Amino acid sequence: MADADTDRRAARRPLSPHLTIFKPILTMMMSIAHRITGAGLYAGMALLTLFLLGAAIGGGAFSAVSWIASGFVGNLIILMIVWAIFHHLLGGVRHALWDRGLYMDPQGRELLAQGTLVGGILLTLLLYIFKTLAS
Amino acid sequence: MSVSTRFKSGRTGTGDAYVSDHGGSPHAQFMRLTSYALIPLGALSAWWILGIAGKPLDGVRAEIGRPIPALVLLAFGVVGMIHARKGMDDIIEDYVHDEALKAQALVANLWASRAIAALWVVAILLIAAPK
Ligand code: HEM
Ligand code: HEM
Repeated sequence: MADADTDRRAARRPLSPHLTIFKPILTMMMSIAHRITGAGLYAGMALLTLFLLGAAIGGGAFSAVSWIASGFVGNLIILMIVWAIFHHLLGGVRHALWDRGLYMDPQGRELLAQGTLVGGILLTLLLYIFKTLAS
Repeated sequence: MSVSTRFKSGRTGTGDAYVSDHGGSPHAQFMRLTSYALIPLGALSAWWILGIAGKPLDGVRAEIGRPIPALVLLAFGVVGMIHARKGMDDIIEDYVHDEALKAQALVANLWASRAIAALWVVAILLIAAPK
C-alpha cells in the first residue's frame, strides 16, 4: 500500500517554516501582513455590512450599529479598515510587479517591502487629512 | 530500468506520491484578475468608507447614497467578497489539516462570503434607492 505509506510518512513530516527559528525580516513580515490584512478585511467587511444594514433600515437599527463607525472604537475600526485596504492593495501591486519579474533582486524586494509598509500608513494619513479638510 | 518519477498528476494518471492537482494555477490567476479590479475599487471605496466615520444617519446616507459611490461600493463588495472567499480558502487549506474540519470550514467560508456580499448589496441598494 504505497498510498497509505506515503500518507503516514507525510503526516509525520515537520511543517515548514518553523515559526520560532527564523529571524524576522521585513519582506517576510510584509508577506505575513498581506495575509493578516486580507483576513482582517474579511472581518471588516462583515462589520461594515452590519453597519450599512443598520443605516439602510434607520431608527433603532442604526443606533444599534453606530458603534461600528463612530465614537473612539468606531473611528478606530474605520481607520483600521482603511489602512488594511491600502496596505493589502499595495501588497497586491507588489505581487503584480513580482509576477512580471520586476523588483525581485535584494534591493528591489526590500524597496517594495518598505514601500508597502510606509505607503499603507502614508496613504491612510493623507486620506484622513484630506477628508478632515474637506468636511 | 524505468526513468519515470513517482510524481504524477491526478489528471494524467495516479502516481503514488503527492502532487497537488487542485487547480492552483487557475486559482492564482483568479486572485490576480480580481485584485486588478480591486485596485481602483479599493482606493475609491476607502475614500467613502472613511467618509462615514462619525457621521449621523443622514450624513452616512448622503455620503454613500449618491450613484457613483453607491455603484463603486457595490462593485467593491461583490468583487471583494468573491476574491476574499478564494483568499480565505487558501488560508484554511494552509492551516486546517483535519480533513473533516477543513471541509466544514470551506463550506462555512463559502456561505459567509455569500451572505456578506448579498447583505452588502441589499444595504447599499436600500440606501441609494430614490425615495
Ligand atoms: C515566522 C516565519 C514565517 C511565517 C509566519 C510565514 C508565513 C507565511 C504566510 C502567511 C505566507 C502566505 C502569504 C503569501 O503567499 O504571500 C507565506 C508564504 C511563503 N513563505 Fe513564509 N513565513 C515565514 C517564514 C518563511 C521563511 C523563512 C521562508 C523561506 C525560507 C518562507 C517562504 C515562503 C514562501 C516561498 C511562500 C510562498 C508560498 C506560496 O506561494 O504558496 N517563509 N509565509
Ligand atoms: C484593495 C484591493 C485588493 C488587492 C489589490 C488585493 C490583492 C490580493 C492579491 C494579489 C492576493 C494574492 C496574494 C498571494 O498570492 O499570496 C490577495 C489575497 C487575499 N486577499 Fe486581497 N486584494 C484586495 C482587496 C481585498 C479585500 C477587500 C479583501 C477582503 C474582503 C481581501 C482578502 C484577501 C484574502 C483573504 C487573501 C488571501 C491571503 C493569503 O492567502 O495570504 N483582499 N489579495
